[in-house]
Amino acid sequence: MLTFSDLARRFGRHVVLTGQSGTVAPGQLLTVLGRNGSGKSTLLRILAGLLVADRGTVEYHEDGRPLSLGERRRAVGYVAPDLSFYEDLSALENLQFFARLRGLPSTAAEEWLARVDLPPERAAGALSSGMRQRLRFAFALMARPRLLLLDEPVQNLDAVGATLVRTLLAEHLSGGGAGSGAGGGLAVVANPEPLDLGRPAESGDHVLTL
Amino acid sequence: MSSRSDFLDFLARSGAVLAKDWRTELRSRYALNSLALFAFSTLVTVSMALGPVGSSPLAQPLLPVILWLILLFAATAGLPRTFVGEEETHTAIALRLAGPPEAVFAGKLGFALSLTFALEILVVPLFLAMTDLSPKDPGLFVATLAACGFGLAAGSTLVAAMVAQARGKGTLFAVLLLPMLVPLLVMAVALTRAAVSGEPPVVEITQVLLYDGMVTIGGFLLFPAVWNP
Repeated sequence: MLTFSDLARRFGRHVVLTGQSGTVAPGQLLTVLGRNGSGKSTLLRILAGLLVADRGTVEYHEDGRPLSLGERRRAVGYVAPDLSFYEDLSALENLQFFARLRGLPSTAAEEWLARVDLPPERAAGALSSGMRQRLRFAFALMARPRLLLLDEPVQNLDAVGATLVRTLLAEHLSGGGAGSGAGGGLAVVANPEPLDLGRPAESGDHVLTL
Repeated sequence: MSSRSDFLDFLARSGAVLAKDWRTELRSRYALNSLALFAFSTLVTVSMALGPVGSSPLAQPLLPVILWLILLFAATAGLPRTFVGEEETHTAIALRLAGPPEAVFAGKLGFALSLTFALEILVVPLFLAMTDLSPKDPGLFVATLAACGFGLAAGSTLVAAMVAQARGKGTLFAVLLLPMLVPLLVMAVALTRAAVSGEPPVVEITQVLLYDGMVTIGGFLLFPAVWNP
């Protein structure tokens, strides 16, 4: 369960978040909508533990235990435009490094590169924008997180890539992803428009507009 | 560490950071080129400006100072890249999401250490050859290089981590690093002079090891706070 309440954040004199609250339960999707600069990315970075709010709290429990900020940061799957990789390393070398750093077998890297259909030997610096987005998904899902935080997940993707993302997200929410746990995974998606997953109203998905 | 397996896990994760840093460095050669260029140009300048300084007894006390200044400034030209590069290329975000801070720091420290020792292996033989400097106590000389090189790398890694997210990183790095390294340099020069003259050192090598330990432990304690947003 992810709960955040009264989150506020400003950058200098520019106020971005002014007391946003929300709750996401297993199997649920929270869509964050808003114009450019409304604070969608800032909210996701706070939820990921990459940024500290000026005010408010974030609580995230796994297996009934609250995770600290550092634990939460390493437990989430995070996809965002500011997530970059080592350009001199190949896609496979990048994922293998992060797999070792997370204590995962290196086969996880190969498995997820195949899943997102990326050429393993191509240098990350030579990947197209859409390919980099696929690599971000492989990075985020490789550790099979229960909480996914996706900032503009279909940006730069072609129709095939966008379909892949919808499939991965639907699997995650339904508990089909191996790491999503009982009741399915949780996801927060920041997008300029609702991401149509064709989910029924009783799924409990909700929208936060900034 | 609560158990042996936790420690082995920590070593594996730190080793992953170290291996990644060397792999990217060997492909980009940014830090290696900076270190080598600075060290080589400084050696040539010293040699041409001072002539065969080793032949003059009056110049002998200066040589350890020159050696450590070359090592210090060459190291500061390349070592900050360990963290600053991660922030500039935005790879620090993935690193924060994937790795425990202690393992990241240990891996980065390992990289800085190996780079510093590589620098010493490159510079010191050339310096000895160009200045006709011959230590009468080679054991103490090597121990000084190892212990003071460790302190140089550990101090640089800690300060690089502290300034990586700041604006004006270059200036801040120098402002914070130099006061931290002054005691180390004083001890390094004293020990090197003792190794060259063969006389008992006025500074014990254990003092340098104490300094190394303090900087390393301080780094592990401070780094999680520095690494957090």
